[in-house]
Amino acid sequence: MSAQTQAGGYRRKVLEEIIMGGRFKIKWKELLRVMRSEYSHIFRDGGVILILVFAMLIYATIYSLAYKNEVLRDIPIVIVDNGNTSLSRQLVSALNAAPNINVKYQAASMEQARELFFDRKVYAIVYIPSDAESRVLGGRQATVGVYVDASYFLMYRQAYSDIATIVVGSGALVNYQKLLASGVTVPQAQTMVQPVVFRARNLFNPYLGYATFLMPAIIIVIIQQTLLVGIGMIGGTWREYGLYKKLITPGEKRLSTVPIVLGKTAVYLSIYAVTTTYILGVHYQIFHYPMHASLLSILAFMVPYFLSCIFLGITISTFFRYRENSVMYLLWTSIPLLLISGASVPREAIPAWLYNFGKLFPSSSGVEGFLRLQTMGAPLGDIMPQITTLWILTAVYFGTACWGIRRVIKVVGD
Amino acid sequence: MGFIRNTLNAFNREVGRIMRYPAYPVLMFILPVVSFLFFGTIFSIGVPRDIPVAVLDNDKSPLSRKLLTMMDATPAAMLAYEVTDMAEGEDMIGKGIVMGVVEIPKGFEKDVYSFRPTTVSAYVSGLNVTANGMLTKDLQLATTTFMTGIQIQQLMSQGLTEDQALAQAMPFNLDSHVLFNPYINYGYYLLPSFLPLMLMIFTLILTIFSIGTELKNATTEQWLATTGGRILPALTGKLLPYTLAMFLMTLFMNTIMYKWIEVPLNGSVLVLIIAGFMFILAYQSIGVLIISVLSNLRQALSIGGGYSVLAFTFSGLTFPLMAMDTWLQVISYIFPFTLYTEVFVDQAIRGAPVIYSVQHLGWLSLYIILPLLCLPRLRQVATEERFWRKL
Repeated sequence: MSAQTQAGGYRRKVLEEIIMGGRFKIKWKELLRVMRSEYSHIFRDGGVILILVFAMLIYATIYSLAYKNEVLRDIPIVIVDNGNTSLSRQLVSALNAAPNINVKYQAASMEQARELFFDRKVYAIVYIPSDAESRVLGGRQATVGVYVDASYFLMYRQAYSDIATIVVGSGALVNYQKLLASGVTVPQAQTMVQPVVFRARNLFNPYLGYATFLMPAIIIVIIQQTLLVGIGMIGGTWREYGLYKKLITPGEKRLSTVPIVLGKTAVYLSIYAVTTTYILGVHYQIFHYPMHASLLSILAFMVPYFLSCIFLGITISTFFRYRENSVMYLLWTSIPLLLISGASVPREAIPAWLYNFGKLFPSSSGVEGFLRLQTMGAPLGDIMPQITTLWILTAVYFGTACWGIRRVIKVVGD
Repeated sequence: MGFIRNTLNAFNREVGRIMRYPAYPVLMFILPVVSFLFFGTIFSIGVPRDIPVAVLDNDKSPLSRKLLTMMDATPAAMLAYEVTDMAEGEDMIGKGIVMGVVEIPKGFEKDVYSFRPTTVSAYVSGLNVTANGMLTKDLQLATTTFMTGIQIQQLMSQGLTEDQALAQAMPFNLDSHVLFNPYINYGYYLLPSFLPLMLMIFTLILTIFSIGTELKNATTEQWLATTGGRILPALTGKLLPYTLAMFLMTLFMNTIMYKWIEVPLNGSVLVLIIAGFMFILAYQSIGVLIISVLSNLRQALSIGGGYSVLAFTFSGLTFPLMAMDTWLQVISYIFPFTLYTEVFVDQAIRGAPVIYSVQHLGWLSLYIILPLLCLPRLRQVATEERFWRKL
């Protein structure tokens, strides 16, 4: 290589740097102007602050208060005891001792019990027939009628499992007493009554608390939904206020795409960094939600989550011409998106194609990854599939966001 | 007769607006139907099947395999993997490959046959309470059935007949009746609450939007001109197209629920139809209240939207109201949705006598007074220019 061409290459490089540097400076200023405008439009507008800042705090607090008691105790039930024998009394006191149910009424007839049920005073009826004791003592099976209200799912599950356990257990007790009476030793009788013990341990949520189970998922979905609605509102503002023209740098023809996308992103990231820190740092402490993730892994997870939500939000916002559009068209999607993530309805109960379709939204991978990271305490390596999906979504939605903004600039510019 | 003529004038103008702006038909018909289809699809399976579980079989005997086969045969559980130690099972739970681990102790078969008590353990993730409940219930049921079989076998070997052995092993026979949701299908609980929730969101948004845009675009004068400045016929005529459309949607929703998804319908169809109509009116009324008070379209939509989404939690259909603090139980009645779902539960699921729903319908009808109380305020915001053109 000759010295001359080397020098020429060097000159060209310097020249390029000056030009690019100048362009870069203009774009950098553009980005700062976008950020300033974005901040001022957010914080001068009660409607937007409500969505981007307070909605998350308000919703998280109201839901947490509603689910605060975590589990349902003392479901009122009624017993119809036609025989009133020592056996039936034994059964009643055993039922009363169960944690989830409470024998609140004793009715004389099924008719009376029915009335209590329709009055919503009880949620289950246990019917002990008059011949129960004589049958059992005579070595025959007695039939105990159990009527449990299935119109409220959680109530049904708890009441039924308690009643079934107690009734079957009382049977075992009768059995046990009979074996002892027939001369069998105590340990032998015990084993004959229950040869195999089934013991269930609940991991990560020992008492199967409702808030512990649902709140982390709700919080993740709220982050996405408030971002989508809030960004959409600001997107409509840009159109209605003509900001695409007002923010043009003097001497430039039009705004360029990337400074707008990145400027907006920086603003939303900064706001959500504050509110999410409050939720994970303070709100989580107040309501005692499980926190098993390290700060670093939360950060490594939340960055792609926020970015993909924001870029998706910017993409959608370019379709809105008016400020009110985003609430109108996006509000209803919150519950479908929570369901499709598999956090409340079990994933095995969702058609596979629909569950996979849900992965187009950051919330699906967000909820799954966050639950495993924060509630279970899984290491970051275990949620790599979710993190990868979020980064892919980030890349794709960055592309669509740029495309959308460029399209709008053209539409309003012409 | 002036009232009816004025109302019709306002009605006709509103129908014209609906035809002109696509936002209205989208919110009235397209999005509700899309949301119905979504919920119909997501609950088409109903109960979770074949939740993957890992097995740690320390015994590897014919008897342990028999128990595992019984567990595998239950609807909820699928014994998908075999692991060699607990750490491996925990790792699989952490990675989300399985939801739980079933552990069978060493010497299981020997213990059972020599009358030594033995314990089968299930470690099930509590991350999803619903899935946990179904899985644990099925695993427990399989173990109990297995155990009863062994007891009967043992008793019969002592010379008892099969009936005697059964009566000895299980003195009480549980005769269970599910009131009145025979399928215990998750969808049957949730669909009848999600579909009206969607209708409610769209009704509220439509009400706020149809009045709010008049304020935003300063077209209230033209609106009031159709009725000679009278606010009551103007409001009635404006809301009527949406009342009719959304009422039609409640009928469509009921058809989907009771005919397509086959949700049980044990009570009065008439009461359910009336309740649907009053439900729509109640939420239109709340919409009128919100936009009249705030007079700003976007703020009213934000507040109305936030309020409507909360209703689901306070219906108690998932987490029962009974388990909430008393003040929250009281608050639940600021959502007409709670009353509507109670009518639904009584009539569709429980088949309660009609008299039990009359009271709820009565409370529901109280909401319809709201717009009358708002009329002076609405007239003010509709006639005074300072309330217009707020962005």
